[in-house]
Amino acid sequence: MRFLIFVLTSLMTGMLVGHFFAPDFGNLYEIMLYTLILIIGIDLGMNFRIKEIKKLGRTVMVLPLGTILGSLLGALAASSILGIGVKWGLAIGAGCGWYSLTGPLIGQYSTVYGTLGFLANLTREIFTVLGYPIVSKRISAELAVSMGGATTMDTTLPIITKFGGSDVALVAFVHGFILTALVPFIVPFILQF
Amino acid sequence: MNIFIPLIFGLLIGYLLRTREKTPNLELPMSTALLLLIFSMGVEAGKVRISASWLLLSSILFALLTIAGSLVFAVILGGRK
Repeated sequence: MRFLIFVLTSLMTGMLVGHFFAPDFGNLYEIMLYTLILIIGIDLGMNFRIKEIKKLGRTVMVLPLGTILGSLLGALAASSILGIGVKWGLAIGAGCGWYSLTGPLIGQYSTVYGTLGFLANLTREIFTVLGYPIVSKRISAELAVSMGGATTMDTTLPIITKFGGSDVALVAFVHGFILTALVPFIVPFILQF
Repeated sequence: MNIFIPLIFGLLIGYLLRTREKTPNLELPMSTALLLLIFSMGVEAGKVRISASWLLLSSILFALLTIAGSLVFAVILGGRK
């Protein structure tokens, strides 16, 4: 929660500085983006183990697929309603809640859609925290994990554990883990078109 | 630069580091890079004239529909309780 406040403060400060002073930081943005991607890669390389995921049941393997497909379809609908290009809409949706990666990746091509990608995925995380306790009672707690997308291995894991139980926590972690491994490849792939 | 280059390079470094007994803690460098990146993204966004209400409503719409889509597919693929 504290880091989320840092993130929002950082974004708001940046927006105010940009609005009133319009400074030119050169290629700081690209340097930071590639540094972050490199660190994400190192983190994935140190922790990703396919064998351990295979040991778990079918749902754990299928759920991330459903999450991605559903996110893309939802994003397609949103982009149609808002009159946004399909490419931007799909890229925003493919972020699966990972706002800190999706926003900057899209921001390389369009500042407006990068900001939208950031806020839309941040909103998804916030809605998951608020909505999981309710949705997990309507459908199974295991399937409701999909609403959190890639965030279910870290930021939304505590709320899922609290309302879904420790069994669901493992599903949520692996679900988020698989999506965290896929999103850095899917978003740039969509943006190439 | 293609985004896949640092990603794959990082994956290789991470894979090599895995064999070491003590792996580095990436929490601080990741948080620092992230906050600087978000700040610079905010700076770029601040330079652009954009309607805040449009941005807010669009974000909410995207969030709601991507969540709804994920839940529908989860129920289809996973089966209802």
